[in-house]
Amino acid sequence: MEETTQKQTNQYLIPISIVMAGAFIAGALYMSNGGPNSVPVANPGTNNQPVAQAPQPEGSTDAVRAVDGADHIKGNPNAAIKIVEYSDFECPFCKRFHDTMNEVMDKYGDNGDVAWVFRQFPLDQLHPVKARAVAIASECAAEQGGNDAFWKFTDGYFDVTLTNNRTDIETVIPQLVKETGLDQVAFQTCFESGKYDQHIEDDIQNAVATGGRGTPWSVVIAPNGKTFPLNGAQPLAAVEQLIEIARNEK
Amino acid sequence: MFKRPLHALLAVLVATAVFVFAVLLPNFKLITVVFTSQNSTLLEKSSLLLNLLGSIQTNFTTLSAITVFLISILFGIQVSLLVYYIKRVRTGSKISGVGVSGLGGLVSGMFGIGCAACGTFVLTSLLALFGVSGLLAFLPFGGEEFGFIGLGLLGYSIYMLTKKINDPLVCSVN
Repeated sequence: MEETTQKQTNQYLIPISIVMAGAFIAGALYMSNGGPNSVPVANPGTNNQPVAQAPQPEGSTDAVRAVDGADHIKGNPNAAIKIVEYSDFECPFCKRFHDTMNEVMDKYGDNGDVAWVFRQFPLDQLHPVKARAVAIASECAAEQGGNDAFWKFTDGYFDVTLTNNRTDIETVIPQLVKETGLDQVAFQTCFESGKYDQHIEDDIQNAVATGGRGTPWSVVIAPNGKTFPLNGAQPLAAVEQLIEIARNEK
Repeated sequence: MFKRPLHALLAVLVATAVFVFAVLLPNFKLITVVFTSQNSTLLEKSSLLLNLLGSIQTNFTTLSAITVFLISILFGIQVSLLVYYIKRVRTGSKISGVGVSGLGGLVSGMFGIGCAACGTFVLTSLLALFGVSGLLAFLPFGGEEFGFIGLGLLGYSIYMLTKKINDPLVCSVN
């Protein structure tokens, strides 16, 4: 009797499993294509307090904010191809991709072909407090010492970060401020002021609007304005190939 | 069973397909945009695809890369075993419920595919759907645990399928 019931159950389990497998595969494809998502976003004004967010509508890379003077740009600001990267200072893949992008700029930066634009995308739920604190610090470094100071601070931080919230930012940030040659008192005042909270929030919202669901998230802008999404820490060869493909879009 | 070249070929093809799918999954949208563009050659497009496969080294942790690799292999073996078994029972008795464990393994294996850190992990997407992606922060391996479970279930289902295949097709006495 018990065995009969089990056999009947098994008859239903096969089709159910098939349907479930199909649903998972379809779901995976749908999600990877920018389906509903929820990105950890800090509440503006209450630093470092992650809040739950309702699922977002699908993003589009065309929503990428125009690159302007307020951006942190490595290379020629008027380059035909722009790579806008949304990054998290405590993300291990961002650290890896930062090196890749520096190699890209070594190759394409000198002749003014490519510009690298750095925008903030701290993931508070994965790297609470620290990722956002470093993002604020980098903005204050830019305020105190301009674009060069921003990149010196950013390159320096990615060089030393242990990632995944393991970095001792109490030691590292002051050390980088000193190495960058910034006024420590002015930096501290800026850091504690909260004046860049909204700027960082705007970057995060723009990352989400373009379809970013994690870091590093990049949007490659071709000469004719066509945009290409680039998700994750892709290898140098892939980024170079994408630059060549973007170059064809005139 | 793997002495039959077609079954071995099926296992290799499925394993390769799953591996490629898992590695390229984070950039499915990019691939769509590039392949629908008319301004690049097929060679350039294919080259991008090939180069993106290199992200198994840059966009996955060592642990998740190993998990994806193993899941792909187990997927291939399992599908091949399942096909062999289904063909066999069709010529013998009726299909029993053994396929359940196999398909269950396929489903669970899907949990282990993707990249948790860059938000393309299937589990991350599912959790995000319910607005609880922060849950991952509390898991010691950031969600990769589900990949291990998938591996376990795939291993178990392969074991069960092998056992069933080796069982003689007889009418049992209740």
